[in-house]
Amino acid sequence: MDDFELELSEAMQRRPAPPSLKRRILERRRQQRAQRQSRMVWFERIAASLLLGAVAGGAVMGHYANERRKGEEAKQQVFTALRITGHALDQVNTQLEEHDRNKQ
Amino acid sequence: MVNGWQPDFEQLVDEHQSMVFSLALRMTGDRGLAEEIAQDVFLALDKDLSRMESPAHACFWLRRVAISRSTDAMRRRRVRAIDQWVELDEIHGAQAEERDSPLAVRVERLLATLPEAMRAALVLRYQEDLSPEEIAASLGAPLATVKSNLQRGLKLLRAKAAVHLKEYVRGV
Repeated sequence: MDDFELELSEAMQRRPAPPSLKRRILERRRQQRAQRQSRMVWFERIAASLLLGAVAGGAVMGHYANERRKGEEAKQQVFTALRITGHALDQVNTQLEEHDRNKQ
Repeated sequence: MVNGWQPDFEQLVDEHQSMVFSLALRMTGDRGLAEEIAQDVFLALDKDLSRMESPAHACFWLRRVAISRSTDAMRRRRVRAIDQWVELDEIHGAQAEERDSPLAVRVERLLATLPEAMRAALVLRYQEDLSPEEIAASLGAPLATVKSNLQRGLKLLRAKAAVHLKEYVRGV
């Protein structure tokens, strides 16, 4: 280091921080933490609401799906019954036709 | 946290507030802005406190963030440092002159007229007494760039001092 650099080092000693700096930092830190906490509470509320909504929506969807499934089953049963009835009627009709043919 | 070191925020503020404030002050040339930057730096430290591994790591982190925040603040303001010093003279100049040696104040004024990269290198070199390698690590810049900034910055500052401080020396 030459003389100029030594003078520079001397002139560039750290300046003392303003006396109120630490107090202001701690105050802002406290405020930020309070804000963060309040934000967390809101996030938790929103998350809980979304979860409740999803559960309720799921329950409603489940209910409708169940109803639809039951409806499908009933429809299939009606179709099966109709098929059986149609088959029985066909048999009766065949017998009647046979009976008519024998009479002639 | 390594080696069982538990960072104590208030203790870190006590230990490093002067360093962070001085870095910000010498980078921006604005006392008010330097105070704001110092506050922001410590609040950022609070968020990252759990990642601090040792006192040296915390110190390195504070230096690095102080310089980068100061540079960002300067870019946001887009005001030439020399103009700020003229303005500062009216606001804080009298107070600063009372507290600090006139030579220190003059040197700071000259320093504030240098380009940011040179100023950062010189502040870390002469205020923090860091080696070029440590400065390169702090700034995240190549060593060759830091060495060049130090040389060119010092040359420029020397030239400016030859003109401006001669006046001062004559005046004393």
